This record gives sequence, structure tokens and C-alpha cells, in this order.
Amino acid sequence: MEKQVFDFGMNTTRRHFLSKMSLGIGSAALGSLLVPDIFKGGEADPSDIIAGLPHFAPKAKRIIYLFQNGAPSQLDLFDYKPMLNKMHGEELPESIRGGQRLTGMTANQASFPLAGSMFNFKQHGKSGAWISELLPYTAGIVDDLCFVKSLNTDAINHDPALTFFQTGAQVGNRPSMGAWLSYGLGSENKNLPGYCVLLSRGKGNGQGVYSKLWTNGFLDSVHQGVQFSSGENPVLYLGDPEGMDRTQRRNMLDKLAELNQGTLDEFGDPEIATKIQQYEMAFRMQTAVPEITDMSKEPESIVKLYGPECLVPGTYAANCLLARKLSEQGVRFIQLYHQGWDGHGKLPQEIRGQCMDSDQASAALVTDLKQRGLLDETLVIWGGEFGRTNYCQGKLEKDDYGRDHHPRAFTVWMAGGGIKPGMVYGETDEFGYNIVKNPVHVHDFHATILNQMGLDHEKLVFKHQGRRYRLTDVAGKIVKDIIA
Amino acid sequence: MSRPTTESTWPFDLKAIVYNMAFFLNGLLLFLLVFEEQFTVPGWLQPLGRLHPLVLHFPLVVLLLYAFWVLLVEKPDSVRWHQQLSEMLLLLGVFTAVIAAFSGFILSHEAGYEGETLFWHKWLGIWISVGSAAWFGLIRYLPPWKLYAKLVAGSMVVALLIGGHLGGNLTHGEDFLTGAFLPSKEDTPRVAMEQAFVYEHLVQPVLEQKCYSCHNDQKAKGELRMQTQDLLLKGGKNGILWDTTQANLGLLISRLHLPIDDKKHMPPRGKPQLTDEEVVLLAAWVKGGSRFDQKVAELEATDPVYAYAQKVIGGDRQQDHYDFEAASADQIAKLNTSYRLIAPLATGSPALAVNFYNRAQFKASDIQDILPLKEQVVSMDLSKMPIKDEDLKLVGQFTQLRTLILNFTDLQGTSLGELSGLAHMKLLSLSGTAVKSQHLEPLKRLPALQKVFVWSTGISPQELAQLKWPNGPEFQSGFDGDTVVIALTPPVIENEKTFLKRGTQVSLRHQIPGVSMRYTLDGSEPDSLLANLYKGPITIDKNTNLKVKAFKPGWLGSAKRDKLFLIAGQPIDSVRLLYEPEKKYSALGAAALNDGIKSDAAMGSGKWLGYRNTDFGAMLHFDKPVTLSSVTLSMFRKLDSYIFPPVKIEVWGGPDEEHLKRLKVIQVDVPKEKSLNMSNISYTTDFPSQDLSCIKVMAYPLSKLPVWHPGKGEKAWIFIDELLVN
Repeated sequence: MEKQVFDFGMNTTRRHFLSKMSLGIGSAALGSLLVPDIFKGGEADPSDIIAGLPHFAPKAKRIIYLFQNGAPSQLDLFDYKPMLNKMHGEELPESIRGGQRLTGMTANQASFPLAGSMFNFKQHGKSGAWISELLPYTAGIVDDLCFVKSLNTDAINHDPALTFFQTGAQVGNRPSMGAWLSYGLGSENKNLPGYCVLLSRGKGNGQGVYSKLWTNGFLDSVHQGVQFSSGENPVLYLGDPEGMDRTQRRNMLDKLAELNQGTLDEFGDPEIATKIQQYEMAFRMQTAVPEITDMSKEPESIVKLYGPECLVPGTYAANCLLARKLSEQGVRFIQLYHQGWDGHGKLPQEIRGQCMDSDQASAALVTDLKQRGLLDETLVIWGGEFGRTNYCQGKLEKDDYGRDHHPRAFTVWMAGGGIKPGMVYGETDEFGYNIVKNPVHVHDFHATILNQMGLDHEKLVFKHQGRRYRLTDVAGKIVKDIIA
Repeated sequence: MSRPTTESTWPFDLKAIVYNMAFFLNGLLLFLLVFEEQFTVPGWLQPLGRLHPLVLHFPLVVLLLYAFWVLLVEKPDSVRWHQQLSEMLLLLGVFTAVIAAFSGFILSHEAGYEGETLFWHKWLGIWISVGSAAWFGLIRYLPPWKLYAKLVAGSMVVALLIGGHLGGNLTHGEDFLTGAFLPSKEDTPRVAMEQAFVYEHLVQPVLEQKCYSCHNDQKAKGELRMQTQDLLLKGGKNGILWDTTQANLGLLISRLHLPIDDKKHMPPRGKPQLTDEEVVLLAAWVKGGSRFDQKVAELEATDPVYAYAQKVIGGDRQQDHYDFEAASADQIAKLNTSYRLIAPLATGSPALAVNFYNRAQFKASDIQDILPLKEQVVSMDLSKMPIKDEDLKLVGQFTQLRTLILNFTDLQGTSLGELSGLAHMKLLSLSGTAVKSQHLEPLKRLPALQKVFVWSTGISPQELAQLKWPNGPEFQSGFDGDTVVIALTPPVIENEKTFLKRGTQVSLRHQIPGVSMRYTLDGSEPDSLLANLYKGPITIDKNTNLKVKAFKPGWLGSAKRDKLFLIAGQPIDSVRLLYEPEKKYSALGAAALNDGIKSDAAMGSGKWLGYRNTDFGAMLHFDKPVTLSSVTLSMFRKLDSYIFPPVKIEVWGGPDEEHLKRLKVIQVDVPKEKSLNMSNISYTTDFPSQDLSCIKVMAYPLSKLPVWHPGKGEKAWIFIDELLVN
């Protein structure tokens, strides 16, 4: 037997060995063609997931989200309820409230007197949408807008509701909508961040805005929102220091990138790659940002359109104008926050001021995008984190009332980006308290927005700590009726 | 009955028994075939019929094996041939073949099998069974090395393969084998929502995928065939398919709804099931009267059928279909730069969108470089790039363009004719360019053009109103500011500091080009005619209240912006407060008075010293005697908050605290009703120039507010934040 083995070994020639080998390799090669991933090893490369996006051709390329922070009163702006005026001062019927929860601020109130809006409503445009006299400019563009009157959310207080709206979860640390979009679609313009945040403050009762609202969460930090400064220079520390010219800066960055690359090769920490990218982007931003703040390329009528406040840095109007310029430059997601809508008391007085800030500039933004042929590909969204109650918080007086938080029904408008223009969707009961037709939950709203951006909300996932996460968690239906 | 071999080594002649049985069964089969019309399958034989799908594999394999063996043997004494073994193999084939044929015959009598395929399958099966028996019988005349034996074997192989394939088709459906190469049925029907029919584009595809395989001309289970409208209306053995008077909508729908374990559930267990949405679709269609001529567009948006159509036909995701070849990914990647982004519209789409950024970086060759992609680029955004008219020649070569955005480029419009080859172009935006009305003429040659944006161009509103071409595009303008007259914003005063060194230059700025800024330094209101016109930085060499306004034709003048500048000359070495300020407005104490920081114009800023119940008094010390001629107090007034100017200011000076003389006293008038409410104010006391080491400053608040004030009779406040000596 031993001899046979020996003989076999001796008789196996190199030619024989190689020809057998090639057959074996051939079969393995054929096999690998049939099982494509077999030699890929381990986890799927995350860049492959990204390469598969967008899932389908997007209607909207960019989003400008005009967040009215603090929750504007839908009952004084959009959701016209004559019944409330008729029953002004009477008690909110229990059959309407149905024992639903209230905030700690009014839960112990002895009575819940209904408060009709002080402001006159009129129907506007072909869609016949009801708009209050507080928003004359918005009323002028209703046929470009889609009002969703049946938005509803889970949270009843500002922080969780804001966090829910921005990240799809009430607890913090999940990636925000803009971060998801940056992750899913990348940046359009490589010279500017893909996700910018602009803050402004009205005179009304304000609520905080925190950087967790534009966090990247567990996504790569390159997807984080970049907050622009409200001063004359929206991006700080961008200029070269005195005595350093562009070439020197370039050389310095090249050297630095070389060092960083070395460390990256050694340790493979993706954060180092992010760092390299961001230095490069900052270098390009040095020429891109001045172009954005430059007013000389804007026709004079722009100031009249947005109102003169748009020349005052840090105002809502200036931010709207800046948002338009950024979006024109390919920034994927521009998030504005305008504070001051939290009308618990003195609502009529406060909301007047807030509308003065917001009305003209918001409408101007839509008009401006439209006249540039960009409204079709830019989705503009206007709305707060929840609505306000139909009953009065505190004492109901002849010309004064306050409204508490109301998460069960509120109004948001959208324009452009493949959303049907001139439409009113959803309906509340005659007390404006409960939704009676076509409710749209925040998850549905997110699903619809992602859909407009060419993303399937069920497929845009990120695996973190053993679980796959989505912006819409495990819910969300696309609101097909409002899609053009 | 002949026996092929005489020699047998088996204890009893098993071979003979098996062969005889096979022979017998073949005979029986032929007999039954002759009298097929009268034959009904007895109940106890049914299980045998259903064994057919199992049994048929034995003869198939065994006979193929034998046939190939025969085909391989070349010569009589071949070592490859084993007489006895080969005989046993063939016999096994013969026996199992007849069992298979017999069971198949019985199965074919169950309801639901008919048609051409069955016909051929049946006769081929019988031919194989009978033929193989004959083959065995003639085996000694057919030695495998003879040509005619090989012909027999070959024809058997062919018969087996064809018969087997037909049987497979009967069980799994005609397309089962080739399904992967046929156009996939899952594909979205290529029809627009407006043209789609409910039956043809929604219902039929579901029936085709999930029902046809058992209910077709070949195999009509339950005597139901479903391929055409007539057949559907006819129904099957159990009657018609739908009955809207029933709660369960009749057979079709109720069978779908039965639990999957139920014998009558459709499709039967093991077959592809309908999705929930498909069940809802069929039910809604039946409920709506199972119409064959209904269009999707006729339905309400809330109809479940409509919702299904949106999903399947893609009403919500209407995508343009592009019939050109995609460019290679490498090429696209190579042409992407930091300032020129090229990306497909969606994954897998051959269509590309190109966007250019950063005017400063743009070169005309940037368009030239991407000419290799001219067959793929459908959208191009060149807004704000320094595009000249001659560059359109390049753009015009991108024949697949649908969208072209040229906003705020340097275009004059003279060469729009270069675009006339763009047969697909839908949207063209020329906003912000110098294009004139007469330049638009060549656009008439663009057949697909739908919208042209001409806001802020050289086209007047009157010309725009006349731009109506038959079947032409819609021309859209936008906001026209000419009719709106609003006030300018006030100019920006660049210098933020209040306390300046003598001779500091202050600049003004306005964001709107062409604005004239006029200013005064003497406290008077600037107007559009007489006030100084700003031409360059203003030099501040004394305490000054700078007032500026902006003016421009077509606008209202701006509101006034003013700013107080105070000259901070001599540093004060130490300050001591003689009286404590009110607690709420105590700021940093004495140090606030020489910190050089101007307080905000807000009383709560925390930088003001406020006095009400006591007078203000401060002692200033200089380490060495200095020559001084004035002291300035930087103060605040906000009448409605009870903050008034002081009634009297005294300045004392001398070499030390013990030897002070009064240098100057100022009496201040009490403000009248309706005078300026809130302002930063300053009081400068001038006295003859002299060397001083110590200065005492006193300021006295108003003890009784005037009668016009809501707080009449009460004490007034004074607010102070800085002392400046010169």
C-alpha cells in the first residue's frame, strides 16, 4: 500500500497536476459566477448600499424646511373654524376632547373655554384655501401650495416633538432628516456642506433650538448639519489669516492631508477620512461662500420681494434669501428654524409679530424659486412641531387669549418638489380638535418627503448596534394623494 | 409468449414473471384505450393515478440509462457490455414504464386535463411503454453494436425526452422551463395611468401569474378556463365566478379568502399565492361589477383599485423612459470634478444631470470636456456661470437635454438658435439674463418645449403678454418689483465701537448697489439734498452723533441710523464710587466707568450703573498730573422706564481729593412729554485746560417725575456706563 502511494506520487507529473488543478479551478470559477458574492467575504460594503441610491428618479432634488419653531396656531392661520367663534367662551365639549391628554400647563385648568380666532379668514386662489388676514403674502401664492391640515404627532411638548419631527424618534441621538438625506444621496455641490442650518428668532414666546436636532446620530459625522452663523459672515473662520495666500494654504493642506492619510492607512479610522474631506471642502468653501453672500448678482427686486429685512443678517427674511442661494448652489437640505411661535398667552399680539417676520419672506422664497424655474425640483415645507388648542389657556378675554400645545391636528404647507400645487388635504372636525379625514402622521410625512427625494423609506437603512434603523422607524405610509 | 434468453440463474424465473406482468398490463392499457369513451375510473384506482408524478421518473431514468449504454457499445466483444445486467435494466424499464403509463392514463381521466399537450403526452407515454416491451422482446435480434439497435435506442431517447417535457409542461405550465428568458411578468406594464384599463392592466396580469397555470386550455381544473373574457364569464363546473348579491362576492373571491388549509382554497397549497393587495384588487374589481372596459382614470382616488394601480403602474413615480445607452461609470467618474457634478437621475438610469458650481472656477472648456456624454445628459444647470452666447454652440450638441437652466449667466440671447436641435427640451430657464424678446424666435423650432422662464430679463411685461405662440411653450415671469415702492434699509455703520481714538475713520455700507448715503455730524436730520454725501470714510475727531440715511430713485428713503462716537482720550488710572448704585443695576461697580465698553441700549444689559435714591458721584485719580479740558458722561435715557437725564452735572478738579475746585456745572432741562423716549446720550463738560491729578464727577437724578409721566411725583433714575476725560 505504501508503495502504491509512493508510486502515485512519483507518477503524478507536473503537467498532470496542473491540468487537474485547472479543472478544479475552472469549476470553482464557474461556481463563483453563479454565486456572485461568494468570494466577497464578510459584511457587505456600505458604499455599495449608497451606490444603489437614489432608489428611483427623484422629483425633488433639494429641500428647504422653514421650521416655525414653537408651534404656530393653525386655528389663527389656516384651519378656519367658524364654530369656535360661534361658541366662543363656551366649554369644549367632552365628546370632542374624548379624554385625550393635555399638557401639564392646562390639564388642571378648571374650564376649557373655546376660543374663536380674532382674525378674519378668506378663501384664496383656485383651490379656495382659507387663509387668515395675518398672512397676506401667503394668501397670494396659495395656488402654488399644498396645505396638509391633518398632520398629527405623538409628542405634546416642544423638545420631544421637535426631536420627533427632525429625527423620527422622540429620544435624541438618532440621525436627523437632513443627515439621512446626506447619507442617502450625498452632497450635490462638493464645495458646500450638504446640510445647512439657519436660525432666527421672532419676538414671540420662544423655545430652544438645540444642535441635537441636526445631529448625524450614528451616521458618519460628515452628514451632520452645519449651523451657519447669523452674523455678516455665515461661516466663521473661513478667511485665510493675514500673510497667508491661497497657494500657501494649498501647500499646507496637502502636507496635512499626507500626514492624515498616513494615520488613516495605519489605523483605518473613518473619522480621519472625514477630516481630510472636510479640510478640502473648507478650502473650496473659501471661494464658494463669498459667492453666496454676494448681493451684487441679485436683481434689485429681490429686496422688495423678500422685504428689506432680508438685508439684515440673522433675520428670518435674510435666512430665507440665504436658503434660496444655498439651494441654488446645490445644498441638499436647508433647515431654517424661526423661534417665537409658542403662544401660550397674548397669542393675538405675538402671532401678529411672528407673521410679520415669516409671511412675506416665506412666500417670497416660493415665488423666487418659481421664477428661476427651480420650484419643480425644490421642496419647500412650512410648519411647526405641533398645533395649538382650540380652547383658551389662562383667562379668555375680549381681545386676548392663549392656546396650549395640540399634537392631534395641525397644518403644514408644502410647495414644489413634485407635490400637488393648489391643494388642501385632510380635514379636522368643526372644532378643529380631531382629524376626520386623511390623517397624516409624522412618519407618513417623512416617508413622503423621502419618496420625493427618490428614496424608499423602507430601504434607506443603517445598521447600528445590531439593529437596522430607518428615519420612519417601523411605520410610515407615503401620502400618495398629494403627489403630483 | 417468447422469452428472450433461455439461460436463467435465478432460483425461480423472476424475469419471466415481471416481463409477463408488463406484457399483460400493456395489453390492458391498449384495451382500455380502445374503449376510452366508456371508461370511468373506479374510486379505488384514483390513488394509483396520482402516483403518476412519482412513478414516471423510474422508467425515464432506467430506459435512458439502457439506451445510452446501447449507444456506447462499439463492438461485439466489448468489455463494456454485460449481457445479463443490461437485460435486467431494460426489463426494469419496461415494467416501470407500463406502471407509469397506466397510472398516467388513470390520472388523465381526472377532471381538468385536456388539450393538445395532454394528447401528445398520452400517446408518447403509451408508445414508450409498448415500444420498450417490444424492445425487450426483440432484444436478441438487437445486439447493441448493430446500427439498427442504436437507431432504436436513439428514437427511444427522443421519445423519452419529448414525452417528459410535455408532462412537465402539464404540471408546471408552459413557461416553466423557459420562464427565466421570457420577458418578466413582474415588469410594470408600460402604460400610463390615463390609458390603463382595470382589467387588462391590473386584473389580468394577476390571473395570468397566479391562476392560468391550472385554468387554461391544456389543463382546465374544475372545467374552468380563465384566459379570455368569454371564458371567465362562462365560469367552471361549479358555476359562474362572481355574484355581487352574495356577501362573499361569489366563487372567485370566496375561494381566495378561504384559509389556506381548506381544500377549496385557491390557489391550492404549494402554488404561488396571491398577495393581500391582489386579493383586495380582485374583490374590488368584482364588487365594482367586474367590468372589462373600465379605465383606471375613471376611478376615485380613494378606490383601492386606484391605489393598487398607482403602485403597479407607477402613477406616483412616473419615470421618463430613456432609450439610449448608458455611459460607462468610469467615464462619468472621471469627468466629475469639485465644480462639475455629473450624476445619473436614479440608480440604473442612463440619463445624467450635470450641475456647474463656482463662477470663479468656470472655464468654457468645462462644457467641452463632457461632450462624450452628450447622448446621456438630460439636464444641465449652468446658472450663474459666465456663459457667453458662443458657448451655446456646445450646449446645443447635447441632443438629449430636457432641462436647461441658464439663470444669471452672461448670455445676451443672440445665439439661442444654437439650441434648435434639442428636440426633447421641455424646460428652459433664462431668468436673470439679458435676453430680449426678439431673441426667442428660434425657440419656436423646439417641438417639446413646455416652459420658458424669462423673469428679470430684457423682456418687458408688455412684450411678455404678447408672447403667445400656437402650441408653443408657456412663458413665465415672476415678481416685478417696479410697482412696489418700499423704504430702503438704513446703511450699515461699519464701526461697532462707541469710544474711539481721536481721528478714527468710520465707514458706511449698503447692500443695495447704487444707493446714495447721506450723513450729518451735528445732530441734525440728514435729508436727500443738503446732508453730506458719503464718498469715503468719515474721520471722527470729536464726540459725534453720526446720523445716516440711504436714498435711491424708485425707493423711499431709509429710516435713520445713528451712532454716538465718544473720544476716549486720557486713560483713567483709578475710579472710586462715592455712593453705591442701586443693587439691581450695580454692574461691575466703579470699574465699569473706565472699561472702554459701551453698554447695549438695553437697561437690563448688566453693564449700566443705575442711581435713584442717591446721587451719582465718582472720584477719578491720575498717577501723574495730566492736562485736561473736558469730561464726558456716557448715559442712557428711557423715559417710559423712569430713566431720565440728570438734572445737574458737576465736575470738580484739583491735585488731590482735599483740594478740589468746581470746574463746571451743567443744568439739564427735564424732558417734555412726547420727547425722544429711548437713546444713548452723552454730556460733555468743557473747562479751561489745566493740569489735574484728581477729578470728582457728580450727577443728580430728578427727584420728582413731571406731571405728564405715568409715575409723576416719583423719583427718576439715571443710568451711566462710562466716563471719558480729554
